[in-house]
Amino acid sequence: MLEIARLDGMEEVLHSETNGTKSGRSDTVDLNDNSLQVDISDALSEREKVKFTVHTKTTLADYAKPEFSVVRQHEEFIWLHDRFEENEDYAGYIIPPPPPRPDFDASREKLQKLGEGEGSMTKEEFNKMKQELEAEYLATFKKTVAMHEVFLTRLAQHSVFRTDHNFKVFLEYEQDLSVRTKNKKEKVEGLFKSFNKSTDELLLAATQKDVDDYFEKEKGFLLEYHTAIKDTTTKADKMTQAHKSVADSYIKLSTGLSQLGTIEGPRLEKFINKVADTFEKARKVEGRVSSDEDLKLSDTLRYYVRDGSAAKDLLYRRLRCLANYEQANKNLDRARAKNKDVHAAELAQQNACEKFELITNKAKEELVDFKGRRVAAFRKNLIELAELELKHAKAQAQLLKNCLQALQEE
Amino acid sequence: MADSREPPPLFNDDDDSHKDDDNDDLFTSAVQSPVSELTTPEEPRRQEGLGDPLTSPSPAASPTPDPPSDSHAGNPTDLFESVGEPPVGGLSSVSLESPTGGEGTQQELPSDPDTTLVDAPCVESANMSSFDAPVEDAGTTGVTGSDDVVGTAESVDQSSPPANSTSDSVPATSEVLIESSVATQELADTDLSLHDSPTFLGDGDTTEICLDDNAKDVPEPPVPASSILPPMGAPLTPPVAPITPTVTPNLTPNVTPAAPAPVTPLPAVRQSPEELEAESGDEFIEIQVSDPQKIGEGMSSYMAYKVTTKTNITYFRKKNWSVTRRFSDFLGLHGKLVEKHLHSGRIIPPAPEKSAIGTTKIKLGSDKTAESGSQDFIEKRRASLERYMNRTGAHPTLRADPDFREFIELDAELPRATQTSALSSAGVLRLFNRVGETVNKMTFKMDESDQAEGQWFEEKTQQIESLDAQLRKLHLAMEGLVAYRRELAVSTASFAKSAAILSSVEEHSALSRALHQLAESTERTHTIHHAQADADFYYLSEITKDYIQLIGAVKDVFHERVKTFQTWQHAQSMLAKKREAKAKAELAGRMDKVQQAQEEVAEWEVKVERSQEEFDRISRAIKKEVDRFDVVRVKDFKDMLVKYLEALMTSQQQIIKVWETFMPEAKAIA
Repeated sequence: MLEIARLDGMEEVLHSETNGTKSGRSDTVDLNDNSLQVDISDALSEREKVKFTVHTKTTLADYAKPEFSVVRQHEEFIWLHDRFEENEDYAGYIIPPPPPRPDFDASREKLQKLGEGEGSMTKEEFNKMKQELEAEYLATFKKTVAMHEVFLTRLAQHSVFRTDHNFKVFLEYEQDLSVRTKNKKEKVEGLFKSFNKSTDELLLAATQKDVDDYFEKEKGFLLEYHTAIKDTTTKADKMTQAHKSVADSYIKLSTGLSQLGTIEGPRLEKFINKVADTFEKARKVEGRVSSDEDLKLSDTLRYYVRDGSAAKDLLYRRLRCLANYEQANKNLDRARAKNKDVHAAELAQQNACEKFELITNKAKEELVDFKGRRVAAFRKNLIELAELELKHAKAQAQLLKNCLQALQEE
Repeated sequence: MADSREPPPLFNDDDDSHKDDDNDDLFTSAVQSPVSELTTPEEPRRQEGLGDPLTSPSPAASPTPDPPSDSHAGNPTDLFESVGEPPVGGLSSVSLESPTGGEGTQQELPSDPDTTLVDAPCVESANMSSFDAPVEDAGTTGVTGSDDVVGTAESVDQSSPPANSTSDSVPATSEVLIESSVATQELADTDLSLHDSPTFLGDGDTTEICLDDNAKDVPEPPVPASSILPPMGAPLTPPVAPITPTVTPNLTPNVTPAAPAPVTPLPAVRQSPEELEAESGDEFIEIQVSDPQKIGEGMSSYMAYKVTTKTNITYFRKKNWSVTRRFSDFLGLHGKLVEKHLHSGRIIPPAPEKSAIGTTKIKLGSDKTAESGSQDFIEKRRASLERYMNRTGAHPTLRADPDFREFIELDAELPRATQTSALSSAGVLRLFNRVGETVNKMTFKMDESDQAEGQWFEEKTQQIESLDAQLRKLHLAMEGLVAYRRELAVSTASFAKSAAILSSVEEHSALSRALHQLAESTERTHTIHHAQADADFYYLSEITKDYIQLIGAVKDVFHERVKTFQTWQHAQSMLAKKREAKAKAELAGRMDKVQQAQEEVAEWEVKVERSQEEFDRISRAIKKEVDRFDVVRVKDFKDMLVKYLEALMTSQQQIIKVWETFMPEAKAIA
C-alpha cells in the first residue's frame, strides 16, 4: 500500500508534465482545416480516475465561444463513441475506435513487487528500479492521454462527425455529462447485444453472398488483416517488454560490478567502475530502444487493430443492410404474389435499397480512406522507428567504443 | 601397464604422508647437489629432455666414471658450501643446529668413507621410495630407466658390507647419484621447499635421517615399488637397515624434523620457482576441447571429447597433438590433482560439475533427435571443460604433474576413473566429509603465533568470503540478463514471423514490402540478440560461475592450512603431555619409564617440528598461490569484460546495419 501511495504522489506531478507531451501525437492530424481544433491540454490522475481537460478552438458558428475547455473522464469518451455507433446516419462511416481504458494496473503491480523485493537489493538498485517504474508509469499515462486525444481529433477532422450534436455537447457542456458507468442490467443487455451481433455477423459472413466483388474482397482482407495485426501487436508487445527487462537487468549488473570493484580494491576498481558506468549508460539507451519500439511500432499496430476492427464493423453494418434489402425484396415478391400490402412492401424495399446504396457508396470511400490513413501512418512510424533504432544503436556502439578505448588506456 | 601406473597409495594416505615426504625430500635433497656439481648449467636442460622417460629409454648410461671420483673429492666441499647457505629449514631451532652438526660431519667426510657410503643407499632408497614418481610419469620406459638404478643399487648393496673400502662403492654411489639426478631432473617440480633441501646434502645428519626414516619406512615403500618394479624391493632393504646403526643415532631426533620442510608429496620436482616464474613468460600451453561425441547407446553411453594441445613447453613430446578423453576422465584428473596437490596448498581449478539430469537426457536421447536443449548442454559442458583444462594448464606446477601430462599426452584410453559418479558411495562419503569440514571451518578459530601472517590470512579469508558473496550476486544478475536476452531473442523471432504474415496479408504493395523487410530485419536482430545472449552466457555468466567455484577451491586450501595448524597444535599438546610424563617418571625415579618417556618425547618433538614445518610450508605455498590467484583473477576479469564489451559493440554495429538496410524500404512506402 505504501508503494501505491508513493505512486499516487507521483501522479500529482504527472498532470503538469503531460502538457508538453501531446505534440508528438497530434501532428498526425491534418492541420489544413482549422475550423475545429481539439486537444487534451491537461490530464490528472486521481486514484482510479483520470480527468482529461479537453480544450477546443473553433471558428464554427454553432459554438458559443471560439475557445473553451471542459473536464471529461474516460467513460464520457466511451459514451460519445457509443452515440456515434448507434446513429443510423453514420452506418456508412468507419467510427473512430474508442480509446482504451486507462490501465495502470501493470505498473502498480510491478511497483508493489518491487516494494516486496526491496530488502533483496541495494538502495541504489531499488531507487533505479523505482525510477524505471515511474518512467514506465509516466509513459503509460502519456499514451493513454494521447489515445483519447487521437479519438477526439479524428472526430473533429471528420467533415460529418464534427457537426454531430453529441460531439458538440461533449466539447462544450461545462457540467458533468452524468454518464454513469453501465449498471448490471445494461451490462447484461450490452453483452447480449454484442453476442447477438457477433452471431449475426458470423451468420451473415457465412450465408450472405455479396453482390459486390470489391466488398467481398475487402471483407476477406479485413478479417485476415485483423487476425494478423492483432497477433503482431501481441508479439511486438512481448518483444518490447523483453527489451525492457534486458535494459533493467543492466542495473543489477552495473551495481554488482561496482560492488565487486570495491571488494577487489585498486587493482580492478577503476577498471570495473568504468565498465559499470558504461552499463548504466547502456541501460538507459536500451530502455529508450524499448520505449521507442513501443511508441512507434506497437502503438501503430495497436491503433490499426482497433481501426481495422471499426472498419470491420462498417462492413458488417453494410452486410446487414444488404441482408435487409434482400429480405425486403423477398417480402415485396411475396406481397405481390399475395397481392397484399404491396405498397408498404414496395416502400420498405425502396428504403432498404436506398439505405444499402448509400452505405455502399460511403463505405467504399471510407475503406479507401482507411487504407490511405493506414499506409501514411505506417510509413511515418516505420521511418521514425528506423531512425530511432539507428540513433540508439549508434549511441550505444559509440558508448562501448569509448569505454573500450578508456579501458585500453588503463 | 595401466595398473602399474595407478598412483601408489603412499601419497594419498594422510597418515603416512610425513614419512613419505621425508623420503621424497631426501630424494630431492640428495639429488639436488649432485646435479649442480656434476652438470653444467645447460646440462639439466638437456638431461631434462633426455631424462624424460617417455622419450629417452635409458638415461642411466650417461654418467662417466670420472666425475664420481671428482665428486668424491670435490663434492664434500661444495656440498659443504651448500650447507653453509642460509640454513633455510624454516624452523629456527633446527636450522641452528643443523649447520653445526653439518660442519662436524663435513670435516670428517673426506676421510670417512663410511659417510660417503652411507650416501649411496640413502639416495637410492630415496629414489626407491619415490619410485612411483618416475614410473607414474614414464610408464614402461621409466621402468627401464629405473632398472638401472636398481642395478646400481644392487652394486652398492654388494659393496656395502666391505663398506670401508671406498674404491668400489664410490663409483657406484656417484652413479646412483647421477642416475637419480637424472630422474629428479625429469621429475623436477617447483616446490618451494626445494631450496631448503640442499642444506642436508652430504651432511652427516641428513644421511642419518634418511637412513632412519628409511628404516622406518622400509616396510612401506616396497609395496608400491615392488608392484611396479619387482626386482627392486628386495635387494634394497638390507643395506639400509644395517647401516643405520653405524651412524650416530643421537643426532637423529634433532635433525629429522628439518627434513619434512622440503617435503612434497609431489612426485614431480622440476625447477626452482624462480626458474619457473621466469619461464612461464614464454611458455604457453593452449588446450582445446572439441568434437563432443556420443559413444555407445543407452545408459552405458558416454560423451567423448577431442583434447587438442598446442604448446612450446619442452617436456611435452610434440608441439601440437590431440587425444580423446571422456567426461569422467576429466573428473578423474581433477580428483588426482586434488589428492596430490591440495594438501600442499595449491589451488586446484575445479572440474565442471557432473549433472545427472543433463547426462541422462543425452544418454537416452538418440543422436538424430538431439534437441537443442541437450545441444546447449553439450556445448556448455564442452566450453567449461576447455576452460577447466586451460586453467589447469596455466598453473606451472599442475601442468607439470604426470597425471596432467598423461591426460593430455597419452594416446590411449585412460584407466576408468572411479569415484567420479555423483551418486557413488565415494561421492556420498565426500559429501559427508565436506559437511564435517564445514562445521569444523565455522567453529575453529586459529590462534596463530605469527601475528602478521595470521592477519594476512584473516584478511584474505575475509576478502575471499566477500568476493564469493559478491560474485554469487553478480552471477545471479548475469543469469537474469541471459534469461531476459534469450527471451528477447525468442520474442523478436516470433514477432518477425507475425510481421511476415502481416506483410503477406497487407494489400498495399509498398507497405507490404516494407513490412516484409521489417520481418526480415527483425529476424536478423533475433539472430543478433541470440548471439549476444550466448555472449552474455559464455563471456560473463560462465566465467563468473567458474570463479565462484575457484573460490571454493581457494577456501579448500585455506581449510587445508587450518587442518595443518590443528595437527601442529595437537602435536604440541601431546609433546607437552609426554614431557610431563617424563618429568613425573624422573621424579618417581623409574628409570625404565624415563627411558620410554624420553623416546616418546623425542618422537613428539619430531612430530611438532614436522607439523610446524608443514604448517609454515603450506602457509608459504598458499600465500604464493593466492597471490597468483589474485593476479590471474584480475587479468581474467579484465579480459572477460573487454571481450564482453566488444561482443556488445559488435551486436550494436550489426543492429545499425540491419536498420540501415531497412530504412530505404520504409521511405519507399507511398
